[in-house]
Amino acid sequence: MKQSRLELIVGVFVLVGLAVVAFLALRIGGGALLGADTYPLKARFTNTGGLKPGSNVLIAGVSVGRVDAVTLSPTDYSALIEFSLRKEVRLPVDTMASIRTSGLIGDKFLALSPGSEDQILAAGALISDTESTVDLESLISRFAFGNVEQKKTPPPAKPPVPEITQ
Amino acid sequence: MSLRFSFRFAAIAMLSVTALHAQAPAADPVSMLRGAIDEVMAVAYDTKATTPLVERARPVLAKYFNYESITRRAIGPGWRQFTPEQKKLTTTLFSELALRTYANRFEVGERPGITYGKPVMLDPTRPALRELPTTIDYAGKKYAVAYRIEQVNGSWLIYDVNIEGVSMIANWRSQLDPVFQRGGATAVIESLENNLTQGPVK
Repeated sequence: MKQSRLELIVGVFVLVGLAVVAFLALRIGGGALLGADTYPLKARFTNTGGLKPGSNVLIAGVSVGRVDAVTLSPTDYSALIEFSLRKEVRLPVDTMASIRTSGLIGDKFLALSPGSEDQILAAGALISDTESTVDLESLISRFAFGNVEQKKTPPPAKPPVPEITQ
Repeated sequence: MSLRFSFRFAAIAMLSVTALHAQAPAADPVSMLRGAIDEVMAVAYDTKATTPLVERARPVLAKYFNYESITRRAIGPGWRQFTPEQKKLTTTLFSELALRTYANRFEVGERPGITYGKPVMLDPTRPALRELPTTIDYAGKKYAVAYRIEQVNGSWLIYDVNIEGVSMIANWRSQLDPVFQRGGATAVIESLENNLTQGPVK
């Protein structure tokens, strides 16, 4: 009897431990440990370059939030990024959002560059000035393969075709 | 060659914008853009013109570019600490610098073809802002250029140009904001004045 009671207590203890670990993992993954005092914002991009939920939101290199969701608009095929920002960080309406990469092959993050307007973005507002990720591969290929038009040489003059007389 | 080519393209894209105000402002932003670009092409590709391109493009810019908005956005949060006199001077200097930067890199070459996309309302709560996506076909390659415009007193004015995902405002802000952080409005003005004294006007 004592043995089974002890096993039950140990089992409950293990289950509670697992639940706590799972809860913390979810909270950390979702960025909720930044603090419950956050507010949502949105930004629309033509190309997110693979930015994922959970990515950092930085201002001047300082982490101030997390990306919550990245969805595709079915109408214009643009990407809508929803993110949470610390409540004490108030941004002007002309703030610019850019998608950047840590180094050449590092993680993507959302960089915010505050503007100068007096009006402040309200919770749930959309940042209209955005800068999508630069497609380096595409740019390099465009310039690496040169300009076909400039290299085009005039075709050699054709020899005169003799008239065929019947 | 590649760098020179990219500068040439950026200059074409920028100068395409400068035409926007040479025409009477249209109610429809796309119509305005179409007419404007036609006119800027005429100015930029006028091989018989004797006056520098900067001089020819300046009045066009002055009419249709929102200088104050562009400068304010380019400076960033530090703009609030500028005095009215400093704001006025900075706007004049920055506009001239932007014009010279792109005009000096422009070279008369192949005329680009332009395809106009559907205007996009950037934010439903701010209907006075629009983005006009275009595709520029230059020297056998296509480039995405988006013009961001705002309606001010009934006229559509350009406040940013986004070339292949790179914003003109973001580019300038990343350069000018550190200058402001270092030395305030005075440092920004000095920096702009120093830049303007360098290099000849083309």
